[in-house]
Parts: sequence; C-alpha cells; structure tokens
Amino acid sequence: MASETIVSFRNVSMQFPGVLANHDVSLDIHKGEVFALVGENGAGKSTLMNILYGMNTPTSGEVTIKGQKMTHFSPSQAIERGVGMVHQHFMLVPSFTVAQNIVLGREPKHRGLFYDFHKAKAITDSLVEEYGLTVDPAAKVADISVGLQQRVEILKTLHRGADILILDEPTAVLTPQETDELFSVIRRIVKEKQMTIIIITHKLYEVMAISDRVGVMRGGKLVSVENTADVNERILASMMVGRDVLLGQLDRNDPIVTDNEAAIEISDLHVTDNRGLPAVRGLSLTVHRGEILGIAGIEGNGQSELIEAVAGMRSFTKGNVVINGKSIAGMNAGQVRALGVAHVPEDRLSTGVSAPADVTDNLIVGKEKLPRFSLFKTHMKKRAVRQYAREISEKFDIRGAGIDTAVGSLSGGNMQKVVVAREFSFETPVLIISQPTRGVDIGAMEAIHQLIMDKRNAGCAILLVSADLDELYRLSDRLVTVYEGRITGEFTPDTIAKTEISYYMTGGRKEADA
Amino acid sequence: MKLRKNMSYLLSLFIAVAAAFILGGVIMALSGHDPIEGYTLMFQGAFGTQRASANTLAKASTLCLCGLATAIAAHAGIFNVGGEGQLYLGAMASAWVGARLTGTSPWIAVPLCLLAAMLAGGIYAWIPGMLKVKMKVNEVITTIMLNSAAIYFCSFLTNGPLKTAEKGVSAGTDAIDPAFMFSRIVRRSSLTESIFLAAIIALVVWYLMKKSTTGFQMKLTGENERFAKYSGIKSSKLALWSMVASGAICGLVGMFEIFGLHGRFIESVSSEFYFDGMLVAMIMRYNPVGIILMSLFFGAMEIGGAAMELNASIPSSLIVLIQSIIIFFMAAEQGITAAFQARRARKKAAKALQKGDAA
Amino acid sequence: MTELSTIFNIGLLQNTLRTATPVVLCALGCLMTDHVGMTNIGVEGMMLIGAFSAVMGSWVCSSWWMGLVFAITIGLLLGLFYGVFVIKFKSDEFIIGVALNTFAMGLTTFLLRTLTGQSGTFHAPEGNLSTLPRLSADWLNSIPILGDLLNNNTLLVYVSWILVLVCWLLIYHTPLGFWLRASGEHPQSLRSAGRSPEKMQYLASLICGMLSALAGAHLALGYLSTFSENMSNSRGYIAFACVIFGRANPPKVFLAALLFGFIDALGMRLQSVGISSALTSIFPYIGTVLMMVLVVWRTERRKKKLAQ
Repeated sequence: MASETIVSFRNVSMQFPGVLANHDVSLDIHKGEVFALVGENGAGKSTLMNILYGMNTPTSGEVTIKGQKMTHFSPSQAIERGVGMVHQHFMLVPSFTVAQNIVLGREPKHRGLFYDFHKAKAITDSLVEEYGLTVDPAAKVADISVGLQQRVEILKTLHRGADILILDEPTAVLTPQETDELFSVIRRIVKEKQMTIIIITHKLYEVMAISDRVGVMRGGKLVSVENTADVNERILASMMVGRDVLLGQLDRNDPIVTDNEAAIEISDLHVTDNRGLPAVRGLSLTVHRGEILGIAGIEGNGQSELIEAVAGMRSFTKGNVVINGKSIAGMNAGQVRALGVAHVPEDRLSTGVSAPADVTDNLIVGKEKLPRFSLFKTHMKKRAVRQYAREISEKFDIRGAGIDTAVGSLSGGNMQKVVVAREFSFETPVLIISQPTRGVDIGAMEAIHQLIMDKRNAGCAILLVSADLDELYRLSDRLVTVYEGRITGEFTPDTIAKTEISYYMTGGRKEADA
Repeated sequence: MKLRKNMSYLLSLFIAVAAAFILGGVIMALSGHDPIEGYTLMFQGAFGTQRASANTLAKASTLCLCGLATAIAAHAGIFNVGGEGQLYLGAMASAWVGARLTGTSPWIAVPLCLLAAMLAGGIYAWIPGMLKVKMKVNEVITTIMLNSAAIYFCSFLTNGPLKTAEKGVSAGTDAIDPAFMFSRIVRRSSLTESIFLAAIIALVVWYLMKKSTTGFQMKLTGENERFAKYSGIKSSKLALWSMVASGAICGLVGMFEIFGLHGRFIESVSSEFYFDGMLVAMIMRYNPVGIILMSLFFGAMEIGGAAMELNASIPSSLIVLIQSIIIFFMAAEQGITAAFQARRARKKAAKALQKGDAA
Repeated sequence: MTELSTIFNIGLLQNTLRTATPVVLCALGCLMTDHVGMTNIGVEGMMLIGAFSAVMGSWVCSSWWMGLVFAITIGLLLGLFYGVFVIKFKSDEFIIGVALNTFAMGLTTFLLRTLTGQSGTFHAPEGNLSTLPRLSADWLNSIPILGDLLNNNTLLVYVSWILVLVCWLLIYHTPLGFWLRASGEHPQSLRSAGRSPEKMQYLASLICGMLSALAGAHLALGYLSTFSENMSNSRGYIAFACVIFGRANPPKVFLAALLFGFIDALGMRLQSVGISSALTSIFPYIGTVLMMVLVVWRTERRKKKLAQ
C-alpha cells in the first residue's frame, strides 16, 4: 500500500474550559486508507476530527492537509482542501429535498441567477449512479429514514469534492444491514476513487471489519496507532479502556431484602419515539429487590423510550408497567415518583438539571413540600433548604462549587453527582438509572458506581441502562440485551464474554428465544 | 456568587440609565434646550408638589402591576404580551357590572366588580395559555393578536350595544354609581385608594414568586420545562395558572382606571400601559422587587416629562426616547453577557459532542 | 339591494388595494426575517420611522423620490440596528422588537416637534410636500373593472406587486433563497456547507428594514401626504399576522394582506349601514389565531399519519 501522507496532525492540543480534550496529538493519515479512530466516550476523537474539519480551532499545534498547513480553521477552508465530514448529528435541512440538501452551498444555477432544479436533480442522479448510493432526489429529508439521511450526508460531501471523508460514529444509528451496506460503500469508494476515510467509532468489531489502520485515543491522548491486521479486539479494548487497574473493587454484599418480590414488572410493552415510530416493541422484564438489572444494547434500540415510559415521562401504546404492585398506565412522572421511584435520566443537561438554577435549587427539587423545608407546603424555609443542600453536597462530594453556583457551570462529573445526589436521597425502593457515568471523569465514575452498588446492597431494585459495557458488567446482577425494542437474550455477567454479548446486541438471538 | 452577579447587573443598569440620561441631555442641548433646566423641571414635575408626587405614585402603581403581570407569567416560562387586551376586557367587565349594580351597597358591588375584572382578564389570558400548553401554539403571537381583537371588541361595545344614552358623553358606557368609585387620596391627583389594593397585589406576587414553594416550582418550569416535568412538577398547570393570574392582574389594572378616574368605560382607558409595564419587567429581568423600584423611576420620568413639556416646551416624547435607550443598552448588555455565556456553552457543547451526548 | 351596491362596488376593491399596500410591503420584509428564524415584531416601529423619514425627505428636498431615498436609507440602517442587536449581541429578538416600536414612537414624535415645530400631524409649511406619482395606462381604461382597479395607483402599489414576485423568486428559486431558509431551519447545516448563517440573517434584517420603511413611505406619501404621530397604527402587527397567516410564502402573504385590506375596507363601508367597523376589524386577528391553531393541528395529524 502506498503510504503517502495526506493529513498530518502535529502536537495538536485542544483546551476547553476545564477539560483538555486533546493533548499533544501527532498523527499521520495515509492516502487511500481507512483509518479507524477508536476510544471511549470523551476520549477526544470527535474533537480531533472537528479540528480537521475546521469546526474547532486547536489551542496549539498544527494541521497539514495535502502538504498545505491550515492557516485558519473554518469548514470552508477544510472543504476547499477536500475534507468532508459526516457528523453524528446530521447537517441536513429537513424541509429541503435530498437534491437540495446535496447541493446546498454549491447550487447549480441557470441564467446565472436562478436555482437550477433540473441540474440539481441531475447532479444527485449522477452521484447516486457513480457511488451506488441509492436515494430519491425528490424526497423530503424529513420523510426519509435515518439510514438514507446518512447517505445524503455522504453524497453531500462527495458533491463538494471531498477525497478525505470523516465519518463520526456512522453506525450508531444504523441497523446491521444498513451498516453492512455502508461498509461496502466505504470499501468501494476507497478502492475505486482512492478516497481516504477516517471513521470514528467505539465498536471494535467494526474496526476489525473495515479499517486498515487504527488509532486508539484515551483521555485526550493518542495512545497507540497500529495496523489493524496486527491487533485483535481484545488488545484494542485493553488499550481503549486501560482502566481495569484504575477502578477499585466494588463492595458487593448480599442485599438486605425481606422478600424477593418483583419491584418493576414490564409486560409486552410497546412505546413509540418522538416521530411516532415504534421504538419498544413488546418488551417484558422483571426487576427484583436487591438486584441491578442491566440493559445492554446499541444506542437507539428503544432503551431511551423504555426508560422514559417506566419513569412516567412517555406514554405507552400497549402492554403494562407495574411498579410496587401498581400499574403506571396513564401516570405522569410525579405520580410514578410517588410510587417510590427515583430516576437518573440519560441526558442530564436537558432533563436532569435546570442549568441556570443553582446547586441548592437542583438538590431540593421534589422535596420542597416536605415539612422540613416548608410551612404548610407553602412557605419555603430557605435556611433549612440551604442547610440541607450543604449537607448533601458534602455527603456526595460535589466539588468545584458552592451551593450558590449555577449547575450549568459545573463539570460533567459534578453535574452528574448533583443528579445522583438528588435522586438517591429520595431513598426510594426503586431506581431507574440511565447512562450514569457518561462523560464523567474516572473519579466521579468510581464514586457513582459505589453509590449505585450501595443502593443495591440496601435492597433497592435498580434498572440500569448504559452504553458502556464495562459499566454494565461491573454493576449488573443480571443483563438483558435489547435490539430494535425487543429483548434478545438474558445473561449473568459471569456467563458471557463482552465480545460474545455484542452478537445479541446486534440482533442475534438465543436459541431458546428464536 | 449570587450577590456578585446581582451587583454586576445593578452596575450595568446604573451605567445604562446614566448613559441614557446623558444622551437625553445631549439631545436636549442639540434641540436648543438647557439639559440642566430640563431635568430639574422633570424632577420637580415628578416630586415638586404633593399632587405631583401623588401622580407619580399612581403612574408607578399602574406600571408596577403591569410589570408584575408580565413577570408572573414569564416566571413560569410563558410570555404574556396580551396584557393590554386583558386590561381592556377587565375594565369593560367591571364597568358593565358596576353600572348594572347602581344603587346597591358598595360593599357588595365593588368586590363583585373586582371579581368581574379578574375573571374577564383571567379568562382572556386562559385562551392563549391553553393553546400554548396543550398545543404549543406560540403565545407571543396569539396574545398580540388577541390584544387587537379585545380592543376592537371594546370599541364595538362602547359605540354600539353598551353606548350610554347620557347626553354630553361622546363615547362611553353607562356611568357607574359614584358611590363605588375609589376616592382620591390627594386632591386633584390621580392617586386613589386603589393604590392600597395595588400594594397588596404586589406583595402577594412578590411572595408567590420569591418565597413560596409554588413560586419555586414555577421558576423551574420557566427555566427548563422538561426538567420540571421529569421532577414531577405539574408544569403545564403552573404555566397555565400563572398566565391566568397575569391576565387577572391586568384586568384589575383596567378596573382601577375605571373606578379610580373615568367612572365609565371609555376607549382611551389605557394608552399602552401594559407595554410600558412589560418593558419595565424586561429591564428588571422579571425580578418583582426590581420591578417595583423601576416602576417608580419610570413613573417619575413620565409624570415629570409631562411637566417638562408644559413648562419648558421640551417634548415629553424625549422621555420615551430615554426609556427605550435604557432598554437597548440593557438588551445589549444582556446580549454581550449572553455572548460570553454562549461562547462558554458552545465550548461545552463541543465538549459534549465529543463525549457523544450532545442534544 | 341598493344598500348592497353601495357597499360592494369597485370602490371597495380600490380601497382594499390602498389599505393593503403598506401591509404587503411590510409583510414582505417581515417574512424575510421569518425565513431566517427571527421573529421581528419591530416592523411596526420600522414602518413608523420609514413614514417619518419619507415625509422629511420629500419635504426638505421637495421631491418624492428623495423621500423614498431617505426612507430606504433609514430603513436599511434600522435593519442593521436590529440585526446587530439580535445577531451579534444575541439580544432577545422580542425585547428588541418591542423596544424598537417604543423608540420609533418616541423618536418620531420628538423629531416632529423639534424639527418642524408641529405636533400631532405634520402639514408642510410651504405646502411643497411632494407625493408619490400615480400611474395610469390609457388602454387599460377600456377594460371595465380592471381598468379602474389597475389605473391611478401610486408607484409603490405596482412596486409592491413586483416585489411579491421578486421575493417569491428570491426565496424559492435562487441559491440565496435556499441559504436564507437553511439559516432559519438548520443554521449548522449551512455553516458546515461553508456559508455563514449570520450573513443571511443580516441580509434578511436589512431587507426587512428597507421594505418596512417603504411601507411607511407609502403610508405617508401615498394617498395622505402627511405624517401624523403613530400613523403606522398597528399595521406592522397586521403585517406580522399576514406572515403567519400566509406561512411566509410571498403570494400567500400577499393574499392574506389583501384579505386584511378587504375586511378593513368593508368595515368602513358597513359603518354606513350601521354595522360597526370595530366588529369587522376583529375577524382578521381571530382568524390569525385560528390559522395558527390549524397549522399546529395539521402538523400533529400529519405526524400521526406518518407514524401509522
């Protein structure tokens, strides 16, 4: 293989407030290769690629594309040099058609002034033909599937003349079939058009399947660059995680439970997503007291909707959820909470906190009508509230801020601690926890894991969703895998390997269930 | 932290006001008037005599109630721009009830009129509130539309079905029983007993917003509705009721105008009082105490401005100019601060994106 | 029957056109900002200042076209002003809109007093206020109704018709229009295409300022040739309603403005038969609210349908 360098990072660092997202990264990408950039959430992969696409300006270091140094970082300069990027969140205008999105910014004109609808369609048609990515040029983007939208994104970058294509977590939203199609497209364009592909992912089997070389990032640093042929998933995983030594042992005791009753019983649940499409399709499971049930699955397979439904934030179309013996059908979040449920939501910034409010307010929410904090449920006892906030933030070790600081200015780890502190101090027998440690630092992660385990040991029933398999393995008593809103298997962490479970997370089924 | 934030806000407010006054002075000088004389006359016009001070206080109470009406809805994240219409309907309802009850005891009639005003204003605010909460129809636009509808409706009633038969009255509804009128506290001023009711309302609104558990829940609803719902707060209900409360207050403002000054419904019951109050509320970022203080300031400017025009023939519209310049300055300040915050948020968002949990 | 013919005649249609024209111009400006995602209710103030500048320009230079130049220049400045606050300072567009309207009221009243010494309504002292020319084509007179309707309108009436077409072409048939709409709907997509959404927003607010000021110019120099305090008299809000009603599509917005104008003109005439014009004036506003509800209801229903 020719190893002509096409993109080169030299000592690139990127400092965000409070976070060093990239630390002294030097990397060469070769022309015509598929380069996989792997790492866990928050390892700095996307930041590095956003720099290459000109969306971020690095704090220090330099980037060279095709021998030319980047003088200022802007998407237009990156496009000029042939870089294209398919973002994780698509950059498409929903009300425009496929063709209109593809030519956006470089529209064909007739008579020098008017938008040329025919030519736009012709351009799209020829791109479709050239690259074998079938889409209907006249369809509105809002009306087509996510997989097709991704194709539009790819075609858009190709139309802009990109020969270096960055794909940011392209498979996160795809079905396995769509993933296969995407990969065959990647192979073809690399082979036929000599394109260079950089693919960001954290799925190791994809790295093995598609890439020529792989770079592993951890904590903002590029820890290793290898030829894919020389490594396997296990080696990559240990380089990526590298934290087996870091995380201490959890205190897992026999839970204190008087009975082994079911606390959450979900039967044949059907839930639709925001677009009204089915997300959870006939899912049944039971969580008992004193156990953590982990749900493993690729994001977007109905986990979010499931959790929201169980927490009373989303209505379900069919089936039932029974919590502590009561059906929650038709209940809102407040009524579900009254049954003895606390909920750590997956997206803390949009759901878990009020960012402009201070730590005190965020800790007291839901308790403001307790006699301790209010007279006749009306007059707020500000002093008692502040006293409590101080106690709690000390107990849960919320750092970097006083209780008057706006929560929005806290680091991810501390913000999550605020959420966990509030929810866990409701002392409820049932906990619903989603992505408890996403984007938090190792220290906070360890603390939160221990807090969750303590709750289990105290006899709580815990339903845990996480995209982090290590986390699920570390915490869960039982694991279920979900795929497209259905359960595909049930395991205990010690009976199945992490590499094996991904089979079930991508639609494989246990023989008995099939 | 909180104190420092408030201090920096007060400082920028002070600078904005000072700058607006200096600009106002420059404008005066350019148009051939003596700024010192102008401002002196303005101050005297607002506070020089007992009557002037009374008028200032009366003006301030109207501004303050309108401002608080804006604030209470904004506190729960709903924007009531329709206060003017609610004010008209409140005035109309109370004038109608007042005229019907002529001859009954004021102890029965006045409370009924108060109730009528609150109901009319409240129900008229309920409509856009309901549309917002249930259907997510933009309340800013619906309330603007409903303003005009209400004003035209009142104009129709005044010139049509409810036009008084009384001679010598060009346009207006039947007069209400003089026994129902609020009496004047200072002779020949527009300060009436309604100021006490206004004070009570202000106190209740302040308590509700700042000290009560309901106010706390409203605040969280206004800040992040999804979070409020997740926390089990009945956010839709709160938003709707705060809108209704806002409308009820506006209705009362209308009633105070009728029962304090006019004695019957007339079409010029308000000249965009609500919008003035809304601007006060916006400048003070919906802080109730701030609104009360700023209303006094704006009230003094408006009353003083009229005197200034009378005595030095400096157009009182200069006051409107100064007021809007203050708002522009404050909006810019807010914007610059917001730009800083946005920059921080952008970085945060980029960080979040990198961590894969951007919204 | 005789009553009906005094109401529904050619004059009604002529009045409709007259009352609709300023609203059309202003609404065209307003829909530009709507497309880039800005809710500009400051058009009311822009129109008022535009009317004042047009009168001043026409009076000082004794020529109507200098009045237009004044109005356009000031309008562009207002658009820039609005843009700087909303785009650069990221101020709340609504606060700026309300403040702009208040400011316009204060400024025009103050300047009228200080520059001309008059208050309330402006009467040009030497009587040399130049008004907009009226255009006619003789051959049109031969056509019965159309001739009366199409002839003898001021220049800006025809300009507004052309502008409806121009705006429609601009928004839906030029690359620039696609960028404008993209910057309102999904600014990041435009940015990642290497174009600046902010530039589009500035462009829209400049156009908005200019057209709103032209609307004011027509108001002042069209049929009245005078300026009076608060002469825009909520027409900006009506224009805003038309944009909502017509879903920011120029021809539809034009029709909405005509509808408003028709109801207004009809109201005036109904007064002669004892029906209050105030009552008829209510309908457009309630109609706009109903329209908004309908739009939301339809999208919801479409969503549900799509899901099935």
